[in-house]
Amino acid sequence: MWSYVGHIEWTSYRFRPAGSPPLGMDPLGSRGVLGVIEECFSAEEQEEADEGITVTRNQLQEKVVEMENFAGHLEEIFLTVEENFGRQEQHLEQHYNEVLQTLSQRYDQRAARLDLDKKSRLEVLYGQLLGCGRTMDSSKELIEAAQGVYRSQDRRLFLKAVMPTIQRIEEFAKEEMDLTLSTALEINTTEDDLSDVKTMMDSISVVPAPSAPVINPQMANSATQTSLRVRWNLFSDDTVEFYELFYRPVLEDLPADNTHGTDVCKVKVKETHCRVTDLLPNAQYELWVMATNTTGISPASEKALYMTVPSPPAIKERGCSSCPEAALIRWDSGNNNPVDSYTVEITEMDTHGAQCGAAEAIVAVPSCQCLIQLQQDRRYMVTVRAVNIGGPSEKSHPLGVSTTGTLFHLLEDTAHPCLSISEDGFTMFYGDEELPLSALAFDDNNFARCVAVLGDLLPVRGQHYWEVAVDDYTEFRVGVAYEDTNRNAYLGATNTSWCMRHILTPTRHKYEFLHDGWSPDLRITVNPMRIGVALDYDGGTLSFYNVELEQHLYTFHCCFQSYVHPCFALDNPGGLTVHNGVEAPGYTRN
Amino acid sequence: MLCLSCPFAKLSMALTQVSSNKCAGGYQKVYEHESVELQCKMKFAVYLPPKAETDKCPVFYWLSGLTCTEQNFITKAGAQQAAADNGIIIVAPDTSPRGCGIEGEDESWDFGTGAGFYVDATEEPWKNNYRMYSYVTEELPKLINSNFAADPDRMSISGHSMGGHGALVCTLRNPGRYKTVSAFAPICNPIGCPWGQKAFAGYLGADKSTWEAYDATVLAASYDGPKLDILIDQGGDDQFLSSSQLLPDHLIAACSAKKIPVVFRRQPGYDHSYFFIYSFMSDHIKHHAKYLNA
Repeated sequence: MWSYVGHIEWTSYRFRPAGSPPLGMDPLGSRGVLGVIEECFSAEEQEEADEGITVTRNQLQEKVVEMENFAGHLEEIFLTVEENFGRQEQHLEQHYNEVLQTLSQRYDQRAARLDLDKKSRLEVLYGQLLGCGRTMDSSKELIEAAQGVYRSQDRRLFLKAVMPTIQRIEEFAKEEMDLTLSTALEINTTEDDLSDVKTMMDSISVVPAPSAPVINPQMANSATQTSLRVRWNLFSDDTVEFYELFYRPVLEDLPADNTHGTDVCKVKVKETHCRVTDLLPNAQYELWVMATNTTGISPASEKALYMTVPSPPAIKERGCSSCPEAALIRWDSGNNNPVDSYTVEITEMDTHGAQCGAAEAIVAVPSCQCLIQLQQDRRYMVTVRAVNIGGPSEKSHPLGVSTTGTLFHLLEDTAHPCLSISEDGFTMFYGDEELPLSALAFDDNNFARCVAVLGDLLPVRGQHYWEVAVDDYTEFRVGVAYEDTNRNAYLGATNTSWCMRHILTPTRHKYEFLHDGWSPDLRITVNPMRIGVALDYDGGTLSFYNVELEQHLYTFHCCFQSYVHPCFALDNPGGLTVHNGVEAPGYTRN
Repeated sequence: MLCLSCPFAKLSMALTQVSSNKCAGGYQKVYEHESVELQCKMKFAVYLPPKAETDKCPVFYWLSGLTCTEQNFITKAGAQQAAADNGIIIVAPDTSPRGCGIEGEDESWDFGTGAGFYVDATEEPWKNNYRMYSYVTEELPKLINSNFAADPDRMSISGHSMGGHGALVCTLRNPGRYKTVSAFAPICNPIGCPWGQKAFAGYLGADKSTWEAYDATVLAASYDGPKLDILIDQGGDDQFLSSSQLLPDHLIAACSAKKIPVVFRRQPGYDHSYFFIYSFMSDHIKHHAKYLNA
């Protein structure tokens, strides 16, 4: 039986670690907790003792971790201080080296000057010496000559020579001797200007001007059409009061290093980032930054090139066409300068006009048009963005696309001048009035004889269907033609066009189905008011129907070499209306 | 009148197969039966497309021209492939009662045997046997509908020359019965041409007002029924066209005035023969299929 001794309070026992100093001598106070338990306890007490040991052990382990962290931190500090001092030393060494270098340079300069001075003076003195020597020589010579004359026996010669000689001596004696030194003897020492050395010495203890910051390259998706987000870093411990960000647009016609050609703008900020606003879209800007503190301004950072995002494009509604399986979208760039590419986004819409399904995007479209594959009998919303290295522009205004039937617009620049087209672009008239010759402007693209117009190209394989509303009195031609069909010929007269033709004779209505000038001999008893045209690229057929009667009229069997355009012509004053985006009725399908 | 309860009725419904040949995946068969209308044994040809093995198919009735039997069409027209592709049964009867022993029935090729003109004769000695109109419009369809996988609600009619005349007349007189009609070089206005005048005088008598009920041009002028869609092909080098036996312009004029939709195609170089029929048969089957399979 073990007797219960009572709740054990750990604090009331002293644990003496084996061989360690008493608690009081330990400054951290965390030592000496582990130790050998001297007393013996009962089993229960033993258990509780074990629990207590575990708790304390965990506490101690935590403390150990803390200490390790502290030690690590100390190490970091140690290293940082070492680094900083190292830097300071380096700085000092560099500074003093600069001073020494400057002094050495000055010494060299002065010594050189001194040397030069010495040389020039010596030269002058030497020159003077030579002069004196020469004078002495000539005097000697003269004296000798005089002596010679004096010693000469010949009285006659003596008389002859004595006067000029005396004259020469007198003249010589009159000459003044210039005995002054031609050069000063003192060395003039100019005060050396050592003020800059003094400044250098003084500035050793002063906080240096900051080192050049490093400007970051443009981050993706950080630019808008009119603003740029610029970041930079200062990779040193220099103190900085503020930064100044300089920027200017990079224009194509000016050289890149022309710093005074365009306005350089400046922004002052305290942070290491800045959003520059009021910029032009799709434009390149050159940016650099300088750091300033009380000592001075850092050198400029390297120049970085950033680009603002382009303006959004504008979809050309009259330039777009669609058919059951695809749509051709065309747009205006919306930017004066080229952009890198375009992104076309397509979202399916349900019958109520709400979005259904996720949006799909076609990226890296290189030009201002795109042929999109779609599914039949759906409605879609299409938007376009322009993209450059700055990122994508805002979305263009959307265009609704329906893949029921085939929808195309008329190419008004192919229209004969006498053909006028309604505002909605689907009705054409051949007016009664004679147009003045000046109004008849012909170019390479429009029809010049046949009063005709082409519809937009149908660039998708498969089946297409559209309808044409006509009246009893209009002589018309409707069908398809290749893009290069002769603009001086009549539709159906060449092998590049196929059409149904209505002719009014005095007695009756005549219908022809023309291709290459040939038509079958056909009689139709009920004049069609609404003609269905069904084109099947794969089957190689072009069929015509009386829509109101669901009556098949005629089918051309052709082998289309390339995509075709719908074509329309009026042979006498009148009008016709194109109805498209209509689903092909069942009786027109094979 | 056909009495279904009478034992003879059952007998008259009995068909005897004369021949059967596999053709274009289906079967070209010829049957013989005792005709009640014509009071003699009659043969007719039936083409059964592959689809007829599993489903009820619509029926295309073909009426042949002068001198033909049930054989000409099935051997020369080349219609079986298109019929197979479109799942259509083709029935081609003979052109008149045969072996009735009527005096003068074999005298001419354009009257009597092989020249029934698809009328119900009212004159002796023809009126007992020469009832091709009723045979084609009543007896034959009932026979076909009860013996073959035929859809009784979907049938159309076509023919050549005299048969074209027959097809047009049957359609115009039975508005709504035939889903569509087409013809090859039909006799459009028999009252106005030698053939028609000879035949009607013989079968119907001297009173020309009785002829009008069998003239497509006249019938068109007073047609009042569901919208039609008539396809007619006419050979440009057809000698009977040039000899004014066919008179398509009259029909066209009548249809234009009455707004009956017709597409009339003149095919240059083609004559009156089965070579011409063969050349455009698939267009006609396609035209019929559009309505029969709608």
